[in-house]
Amino acid sequence: MSLIAYLLVAVFLPLFPLSMVFNRVFAQVHNTWLRIALLVGWPLTGVALLAVLGDSPPQWLVYWGVATALLYGFRALALRDLALWLAHLATSVWALMWLPAALGQTAGTLPAALLAFAVPLALLAWLTGHLEKLFGAAYAGALGGLATDLPRLSWLLVLVVLAVIGTPLFPGFFALLGMVKELLPAMPVTAVGVLLVWMLWAWAGMRMLQGLIVGDPGGRANADIGLAHTGILGMLLAMFAAAGIWLTGSLV
Amino acid sequence: MTSAVAYLIVVPLLAAAGGWLAATRSRRLAVRISIAGAALTFFIALFTLWQTLTGTPAAQLSLGAHWGTLLFDPLSTLMAVLISGISLIVHVYSRRYMAGEQGYARFFVLLDLMTAALLLMVSAGDLVTLLVAWHLIGVLLYFLLGQEMTNHSAHRYAAWTFLTYRFGDLPLVLAAVLLYQAFDTWSLTAIFSALSTAPDTQTVFGLPLAETVATLIALSAFARSAQFLLHTWLPYTMSGPTPVSALMHAGIVNAGGFLINRFAPLFVHTDGVLHWIFVVGLVTAVVGSVLMLAQNDIKKALGYSTMGQMGFMVMECGVGAFSLAVYHLIAHGLFKGTLFLGAGGVIRQARQNDGVPKDDLYTFVVERRPARQRRPWLLMAVVTLVVPVTILVLAHWVVASDFFQKQGAIVLLFFGWVTGAQLIFATYRMRTENTWRLMGLILFSFTIVVVGYTLIAHAFDVFLYPDEVFRSQIYASAGIDIFWFDILVILVTLVIVAGWLVTYYAQNNGGRRSLQASAVWRSFYTLIAREFFVAAAYRRLSDALLGAASRLNVLLRWS
Repeated sequence: MSLIAYLLVAVFLPLFPLSMVFNRVFAQVHNTWLRIALLVGWPLTGVALLAVLGDSPPQWLVYWGVATALLYGFRALALRDLALWLAHLATSVWALMWLPAALGQTAGTLPAALLAFAVPLALLAWLTGHLEKLFGAAYAGALGGLATDLPRLSWLLVLVVLAVIGTPLFPGFFALLGMVKELLPAMPVTAVGVLLVWMLWAWAGMRMLQGLIVGDPGGRANADIGLAHTGILGMLLAMFAAAGIWLTGSLV
Repeated sequence: MTSAVAYLIVVPLLAAAGGWLAATRSRRLAVRISIAGAALTFFIALFTLWQTLTGTPAAQLSLGAHWGTLLFDPLSTLMAVLISGISLIVHVYSRRYMAGEQGYARFFVLLDLMTAALLLMVSAGDLVTLLVAWHLIGVLLYFLLGQEMTNHSAHRYAAWTFLTYRFGDLPLVLAAVLLYQAFDTWSLTAIFSALSTAPDTQTVFGLPLAETVATLIALSAFARSAQFLLHTWLPYTMSGPTPVSALMHAGIVNAGGFLINRFAPLFVHTDGVLHWIFVVGLVTAVVGSVLMLAQNDIKKALGYSTMGQMGFMVMECGVGAFSLAVYHLIAHGLFKGTLFLGAGGVIRQARQNDGVPKDDLYTFVVERRPARQRRPWLLMAVVTLVVPVTILVLAHWVVASDFFQKQGAIVLLFFGWVTGAQLIFATYRMRTENTWRLMGLILFSFTIVVVGYTLIAHAFDVFLYPDEVFRSQIYASAGIDIFWFDILVILVTLVIVAGWLVTYYAQNNGGRRSLQASAVWRSFYTLIAREFFVAAAYRRLSDALLGAASRLNVLLRWS
């Protein structure tokens, strides 16, 4: 398979510096639904392209993928804007999808692992849009104290961020565990790289949550999301976690 | 009836769900549900322990096809009683203590979830379940420590704890995957069985599996049990609510000792791993104890005291006394939980009476009480050195006449001797009106403690590891060459006795030091006051990393 074809896939399953394309596009989009479509559709296009191309990608692309995931996970540490953070995390997650692809798991495991992260990323995009609509921007530090002002939204935000960073019992945890399990015998150093990425996500996630939910209240109590929205999103998350536990057979 | 172990996890989960649903109607109802759940969990735990004690054989319960296996064995039931007991006490204590706090009901929901996660960890029968529980404990602890949502400081240190825990999670993931790759199963029982038939199995890069996995597990245990260099989160998490500190110090930080015990069938096939576990524990015990002495904040002093105790617990594992480590973590859990929950009372008492002993001259002239005296130092030196060792040897001899053949027992005996001698030495320095009475009481309590400790430790050994061959294997894997062992014991004895002499000399000399010695002392004190600069170094490193990430973002235009 030609290098050009891989480079095309590397735009959709982003590898640095081609990953900058997605991040530039995402930064220009402010509509919540378009963002969600991008977060789900962009990597799925990459997976579909890989499936069309057939062969397993070469090993050097795996190393490139892990390096990209490390780079974006690391950069997410210093980000305070939730939308930007979301885009960086998404880039870091998708770059890791080269690993199951290289292990020849394009049919079952790769789409499942992708969805394990795409769903919470999409939910986070919805919450980000809601915060931006309310306050003009979702900026950690400037927007602190949400836990006191908007308890329902904060609960959801916490759960969604935990799902994004691969916390059990969300499917992301099992997807990462499955990835490490498959990688360790073939590429032990790369498996350690995946674990480091995991740790960077956790650090970045905690920093983002702290900047948003911790702090003095700002008298914005009436801006919290309604019970119906909370119930629907909560149910979605619970179903997502349950599905993850149910489907761990293919991931772990 | 082994299915009772599943209820141990289900009941606190139901209590959390019930409390969460009830919180919208009544906070008090939510708390009542939570406490009732904790009490029921404790009774179920007692029931499971009673079943194990009455001879119900070890069993496992599978809740899922790939993972979700629960173990019903002496270790899991014993730990379940400790965890659920401390959880119940913390629940009851928090009912009034936390009543004025925001997020009152949320606190109890988190407490129930934490109890469930801890119980899942101790009864996990497969590696995936263990990993799930291990990860969840770190996450839940973050939110419990950061209960006060307006307190940035509490959250900063809670995040520090979370990161250290996450750092410790990663070696456990690697260990789990290496074991799975070697034996094609997540089940702990199947893995240990396969390992006993093929102990020389190799893993990645041709490394020996047992040693590699044991090292990774030990690393994970070190992060969880605040061993030196991974300890900074422990004394700095005091901004969290006191009941959380009690739960953390009494139930969560002990997880390292539990983990090493759970993997005991793996450690018996290792060579040398237990030695460096001993060294890490020793360094942690010494550093933790030294730092504890330099604190003027009671909660921080308790934090460093826990660090020292965790060092001792890991040391016990390092000498092969695995079951003693379990006894130690239970004993430590109970007394440290009590100290934390009583810390507020002590602070209130200290405001009324500082408790500083009065000067001898003051008590003699103003209070007209007889001057306190000391006995001849040579006599006291003999008592100090001979009495503890006699009591210890006799107590050990009662439970196992062949204990001299076990190096681990000798090391523990040695520590017991040092501790006992230190106690008598301190008593000698105290100067009381009736030295013999005080000495008699101390020797009596020392005898009770030693005999009790020895008998209970022996009972734990038999209960947790009933197979005598296996017990001998653990001690054997912790053993070193007898020549070097003797040399080390003599060397350490000389160092300790020299330390006592220096202390005695310094005291008789009125604390005066030469200029050179004063400079060294000041440097040492600075080092301790700054906690060996470990926390500062980590802060610098984290600032540097965040700065680098920030610069990189600017360079790449945030895309």
